[in-house]
Amino acid sequence: MECIITIELGTNGVRVFAFDLSGHVLHSMKGHYPTFHTDPDHSEQDPEQIFITTLYVVKNLLNQYLYPKKYKVACICFSAAMHSLLAVDKNGNPLGNAITWADNRAKKEAQELRRSALGPSLYAATGTPIHPMSPLLKIAWLRTRDKERFKQASKFLSIKSYIIHQLTGKYLIDYSIASATGLLNIHTVTWEADALEYAGITAAKLPELAPIFTTAGKLKMAYQQSLGLPADVKILIGSSDGCLATLGDGVKGEGKATITIEDSGAVRVMGPTVLKDEQMRFFNYLLTDDCYVSGGPTNNGGNIFDWFAKQFGDFTKPFDITHSIQQLLEEAAQVPAGSDGLLFLPYLLGERAPIWNANARGSYFGLNIKHERKHFIRATIEGILYEIYSIGKSLGEQRTIQSLSVNGSFGTTPFCTQIIADMFNKPVRLRREFHSVSFGAWLLSATEMGLYRSLDEAARIVELPDMYEPDQQRHAMYADYFNIFEKLSTKLFDEFEAIGNLQQQYAATNLLPHNSPL
Amino acid sequence: MHQFVLQRGKSAELRLFPHISELGIKKNGAIQLNTFLSTATEDIRLYYIIEGKFAWRINHQPYVLYPGDVALVLPGVPFGSDDGVLEIGSFTWLHISMQKLENGHLLPGKWSGLSESEGAAIGKILLLNYTPVLCRFNEAGKILKCIHAELSGHEIGYQTRVNHQLDELLIQVTRHMTMQNNPGRDFPKTFMHLEEALRRDLSYQWTVEEMAALVGLGTTLFTERVKSYSGFSPINYLINIRISEAIKLLKRPDISVTDIALDTGFYSSQHFSTTFKKLTGYRPSEFRKNHLYNK
Repeated sequence: MECIITIELGTNGVRVFAFDLSGHVLHSMKGHYPTFHTDPDHSEQDPEQIFITTLYVVKNLLNQYLYPKKYKVACICFSAAMHSLLAVDKNGNPLGNAITWADNRAKKEAQELRRSALGPSLYAATGTPIHPMSPLLKIAWLRTRDKERFKQASKFLSIKSYIIHQLTGKYLIDYSIASATGLLNIHTVTWEADALEYAGITAAKLPELAPIFTTAGKLKMAYQQSLGLPADVKILIGSSDGCLATLGDGVKGEGKATITIEDSGAVRVMGPTVLKDEQMRFFNYLLTDDCYVSGGPTNNGGNIFDWFAKQFGDFTKPFDITHSIQQLLEEAAQVPAGSDGLLFLPYLLGERAPIWNANARGSYFGLNIKHERKHFIRATIEGILYEIYSIGKSLGEQRTIQSLSVNGSFGTTPFCTQIIADMFNKPVRLRREFHSVSFGAWLLSATEMGLYRSLDEAARIVELPDMYEPDQQRHAMYADYFNIFEKLSTKLFDEFEAIGNLQQQYAATNLLPHNSPL
Repeated sequence: MHQFVLQRGKSAELRLFPHISELGIKKNGAIQLNTFLSTATEDIRLYYIIEGKFAWRINHQPYVLYPGDVALVLPGVPFGSDDGVLEIGSFTWLHISMQKLENGHLLPGKWSGLSESEGAAIGKILLLNYTPVLCRFNEAGKILKCIHAELSGHEIGYQTRVNHQLDELLIQVTRHMTMQNNPGRDFPKTFMHLEEALRRDLSYQWTVEEMAALVGLGTTLFTERVKSYSGFSPINYLINIRISEAIKLLKRPDISVTDIALDTGFYSSQHFSTTFKKLTGYRPSEFRKNHLYNK
């Protein structure tokens, strides 16, 4: 029997799924790799560890599950987190670690470019918001702040490009990942000359552009042997996690949007045209050369509720955060929708869409003497979801959204999904059994293998079995509270900046309490 | 409680305990100058606060200690107060001599009833998790009190009991320190702390027991948490790090394959070669050749 393997190079680790040719999950495994923060603004990963972890997990899945059941691998398809950057030398060896999407070192460059005349035109051409996440700004940072690495760099790759190069010896970048570099013109699908000039590089320093259906060369002999794979196993370059999560939820066609909430989150739509926005709030990434995945990302998703659980949850057993979160959710369910008027701004990590304010900070607002601990729990969840709603609302200015799907571990918690349905006043569908990203990669593989005639046809087979209907009364109340939430998010602009500055200023000199170094 | 000081070589009470170099209680009624000057010794020193508030400097950092807190001073770490000031209050202390190995690791001496591997693990964790002030650590006060009582009581079995209490103290200090560093809430953070410790000392032959103790968990729960978080057993995760670091070193021309094997924690270059080939399909020397062709 033939099977398809999907490899998802995510932020915290790699997830590998095996599907049969009808799209059923046969098995999945994961492997964690660390993110290093040598400086508060730096966020880096070791490309060798990512590669070894990937090999190790794939090997285990093959040997422990697929080979004993006599499965033959027809195709391996990749997806990856966007915006990573890895400089390599002329031998293809990494110059330092890979810089991830969460890295903020280029914040000054981003602020300057955003305010310059070039900023808006680059945004319109490339579809990538001007933000330190963008490889464009990371390369610009290296150029002036890490001259040695910049000079030695023979290529600037994404993490996925590096892994593919290890496996097949080819330097490639797929349209989706390329369109999130800030260097690709998404209208002509060629590298954008103004962006290259700003970054100080030529197109020769970038990997070759490849549509998402591209076979990325032949698997090297050594890996054929160590993994026991046939020489003709197809290595599909695939797409990005964001694009594939959207495809995997079947969001092709009018009126649909998808919400992803894992650690961070995003609201996305898909279509043949880009979203134009003078305030440069939305991204427009490519799935194929005539299909754009557009939307807005948030920094503050499930990670904010994890933070809350770690600080205020009960831990009867050490490190049992699942249990702690379960208990918090039960307590939150005892509070009426709207948390009796306690609002939470979830901007603990600054914010991207829709306010794009790195200085934003968290806040509880509207506290009165009747509020209890459980109100804080519910308000925290509602605050995270108001923020998702505010992205959806701004997308709604340009696209009509009739139905929603939700994916990601936080968003698919039943308690959260119902609140999403109520806030948006729209039915929300989801599937619980597996990852939308990997299913998107399966749809892509199946289409490439001729099981479907097109991605449109493939997306139409997607069935999301679970549905949540909105409640009118709760919707009306959330809408009232949201007005205040939205106003606070912009009204506090000056105070966010002031408190952020003070936090930074006093961080070094702070008088710490009892028993800490004075 | 009366004040007293017992010192090795001077006090008969310590004749059977050559590993205890000093033990005492002090009640300080008035601020004194030039009495508590900074010193560094080869002992592990513990000071448990009974009353009052003391501003002390440990390893050049200032700390304020309150009743129930313990100042833990490792061998070679300077400890004292600025200008030798001693504030009003009372405290009790104990200095124990540890065995120091060539690689800097600490071991309790022959007197200890700890097994060799547990003794080594405790010595390693004291260094890796070193925290100079252990807060709200009343157990330490009770153990010190019990040691005083045994030493002055001389009842049958006191020699054994004193040594038992010293082992108990080392165990409690290690656990308290680990718990203070890893409150059992944030596994990703704790795992990162573990990963950093492994990488700092990759050539060391880590055992699962040591890794578990480093984050303050029993081995069963530790293995379960690591597996569900990382997808790997602790030892396989460690092999991941070893191979990843080895790959980086293989891409540099200036270090031999044998040295790489040992530096990254493999028993031998044979062991390294087998593990490496199993995962990557290449022997280390082949891999190196492929990646250095232009140099």
